Amino acid sequence: MKPISRRGFLKVTMTSGGALAVGFTLPGCSTFKTGFDEKEQSWTPNAWLQVDRQGAVQFTLDRVEMGQGTYTGLTTLAAEELDVDPETIDVVFAPVADPYKNPLYKLQITGGSTSMRSSWLQIREAGAGARALLVAAAARVWQVDPSNCMTRDGIVSDSNGQRSLSYGQLVELAAKEKLPDPLPLKDPADFRYIGHFKHRLDAHAKVTGTAVYGIDSELPDLTYASLLRPPMVGGKIGSVDDSAARAMSGVIDIVQTRHGVAVVAEKYWQAYKARQALKVSWNQEDAVLKSTADVFAEYAKAADKDAGSTKRDDGDYDEARQDADRQLEVTYEQPFLAHATMEPMNCTARLTEGGMEIWAPTQAPDLGRIAAARDTGLSPDDVTVHTTFIGGGFGRRLSQDYIGEAAAICWQVKRPVKLVWSREDDMQHDVYRPAMLHRLRATLKKGELTGWDHQITGPDLMDWYARDAAPAQYPWTPKFMWGALARIGILGEGLIAPVDTSAYEGAVEYPYAVPNVVVRHTKADAGIPVSYWRSVGHSHNAFAVETFMDEVAHALEKDPYEFRAHLLRKDPRRLAVLQKAADMAGWGKPLPKGHAQGIAVHRSFETYVAEVVEASIEFGEVKLHKVFCAVDCGRAVNPDIVRMQMESGIIFGLTAALYGEIDFKDGVVQQSNFQNYRMLRMDTAPRIEVAIIESEADPTGVGEPGVPPSLPALGNALFQLTGKRQRRLPFKLEV
Amino acid sequence: MSISFKVNGQVRSLDVDADTPLLWALRDELGLKGTKFGCGAGLCGACTVLFDGSPIRSCSTSLSQVEGHDITTIEGITPAEGLHPLQAAWSEHNVPQCGYCQSGQIMSALALLRENPSPSDDDIDAAMTGNICRCGTYPRIREAIKAAAEARKTSDASVSGGDGRAVS
Repeated sequence: MKPISRRGFLKVTMTSGGALAVGFTLPGCSTFKTGFDEKEQSWTPNAWLQVDRQGAVQFTLDRVEMGQGTYTGLTTLAAEELDVDPETIDVVFAPVADPYKNPLYKLQITGGSTSMRSSWLQIREAGAGARALLVAAAARVWQVDPSNCMTRDGIVSDSNGQRSLSYGQLVELAAKEKLPDPLPLKDPADFRYIGHFKHRLDAHAKVTGTAVYGIDSELPDLTYASLLRPPMVGGKIGSVDDSAARAMSGVIDIVQTRHGVAVVAEKYWQAYKARQALKVSWNQEDAVLKSTADVFAEYAKAADKDAGSTKRDDGDYDEARQDADRQLEVTYEQPFLAHATMEPMNCTARLTEGGMEIWAPTQAPDLGRIAAARDTGLSPDDVTVHTTFIGGGFGRRLSQDYIGEAAAICWQVKRPVKLVWSREDDMQHDVYRPAMLHRLRATLKKGELTGWDHQITGPDLMDWYARDAAPAQYPWTPKFMWGALARIGILGEGLIAPVDTSAYEGAVEYPYAVPNVVVRHTKADAGIPVSYWRSVGHSHNAFAVETFMDEVAHALEKDPYEFRAHLLRKDPRRLAVLQKAADMAGWGKPLPKGHAQGIAVHRSFETYVAEVVEASIEFGEVKLHKVFCAVDCGRAVNPDIVRMQMESGIIFGLTAALYGEIDFKDGVVQQSNFQNYRMLRMDTAPRIEVAIIESEADPTGVGEPGVPPSLPALGNALFQLTGKRQRRLPFKLEV
Repeated sequence: MSISFKVNGQVRSLDVDADTPLLWALRDELGLKGTKFGCGAGLCGACTVLFDGSPIRSCSTSLSQVEGHDITTIEGITPAEGLHPLQAAWSEHNVPQCGYCQSGQIMSALALLRENPSPSDDDIDAAMTGNICRCGTYPRIREAIKAAAEARKTSDASVSGGDGRAVS
């Protein structure tokens, strides 16, 4: 693979930006357009592929690469059907354009572990269509039927192997051919790369330090900005004394935006230093001066007062209650969490003739245009967003706040500017995984679980997200209507916007064969900015469901694995991963002295994952030994990337289980950097073993599903070790 | 006032504020963007470079401290053709995910292997614990370090560190 140079990246996005945005339709349609570009001497059979006269293939990746492997996975799909080696393909990041919208969201978004699921047919068809046209062209040259032609590694040959033509030789002719209907997709038995390709196409760039992330964006005459934001949620600028800061070395300007006070300087360090010299008083009139305890007290009050909207109601829970021998009732509290991506938020912006150009590590470039337009006098169409490699997403970069900030600063100083957040900015001004309150009740009779009632209390994420997402779905609407659009978006759930399941996803699909099941959501919003965090609702609901299942198993004096397996006997895919993980872990067999295992299984984003965590307590601290993980994600396009994502999700989840907590005091986040928002590290991370269940089902996502089972699996192991149930995250051992 | 130091074998002179962290000088003055900003406080290791052969956090090292010293960055260990053995091991084991922390990880691993050609798990823990990976690539980093150490043992050829020094 050719590592992407910064210059190459800019050139490619600039030349392809306009051309690709127009005139393309999805492959498979009769109006499929092809074209040979005389100037570029290349053929673009569709919005994703370009082949030049030398046979060089360029693939436009319309999902961002933030570690999860789309760069390799989606390129492999195109390569497979086009019949070229994935290593030879030049991958470029897509500009904002309609063909690149995620069909599941109608927005150009990378999230929800949807890339493989939504691209599986689309990108294969793009490759298959291009290949069919090349074959048709060769067949016409040789005056043979296309069925007598074969392809391999960028060459079409006839069936007796006598004649061959390279893709490069055929591009001009292929542009004149018509697509067959239906498109000839490969038989999975013939796959050469899907299921077999073992590398990552971005590895070379990432081990040599040449991969270009947002923070590496470079422009002539670039200036740097550091932004001082109100420390408390909802604070506003009161008075500003910037005289000392203005006198400091390199300072170009100090501007106020609706986000805070920005220092713009010749160098980043100068901007950051001068920011420390600002004297700002904050107006707290509209501030949310709550502490974490206030939030949970609010939730509890809401849960008492409002039984919530019923999301599922099987059987008759009240009857089960009256009939029960015994009842259990628990409360679980889960904290606000920061994303803490390794690459801090950043955005580079410059004014162009009548518009603005943005370079940013964003999961949603079309929402980035909305954010930039909102904070400038521009319309979304005036804003061009270039995406880059992303140094960790985890949902954080679905929000576009940092793009709005950079746009606002650039709009005022009228110079190219790169806004870089400090780690403290990132920790204290995140859009957090919401704190959530779970109340669960169970009814037991004659040694069986007969009823399950799960009340989830917390906010709806769409209330926060619709602000940017709704205008992006209707970008032609005038700006004054955006506020109304967001409200309509929320009201129109299920009609014009997807139903917001974020609070109860992973709870409402309660999988165990229990006759009476109630799942309820009591909406309570503390006014603290929240958003999507790796695995979203599953991150807290899997903990609630799988921890309470463990509590019920112990109450019934049943083995937690056997108890689950029995109630999953009609859910074969879930049962298979559970059994596999238990087998790998040697569940029930003697363990080293002082070790214990906990188990959990969960399905999220259509992927099934079971995990067994083995831990002990050493010197008063939890020691993670080993995690055994079984995953069923349908057909594994790149098995090692599936394993990588399970490892990643497990460490992400266990980090939250042991350390993750954003704590508010009077509206101010108390954590600031990695010393008090801790991470698992080399010495504390467990060994991990992953097994992939063989499957011919269509592939589903793997970026998130590794996370949810890890937290309850560890909590369940800690119960085995201590006899004390951990009902609040992060886990704390009693001293 | 100009500050001079060696970067990847070449003497460079910079005329910037003396309290500027080395990180920003490398990235924004010298265009060596492989070294990353992660925390600004020496807590995450994304900015790790070698200072006279020892790993340091360039975000917390001012330019005045490096005057006259020898700095090696990820760009300095990448050969003109192919990959450094550690980079090759990283690639072979599919270590990088988002990749943002990996330059720092590789520089820490390089310093470890130079001191200790066959590190134990505890040695790897001790040397690598200052480097956070939010994608959780630790198990693979451990395997890649072991593989690079093993390859070094079985290879007769001296493995260059790219900056003219042996890996171990």
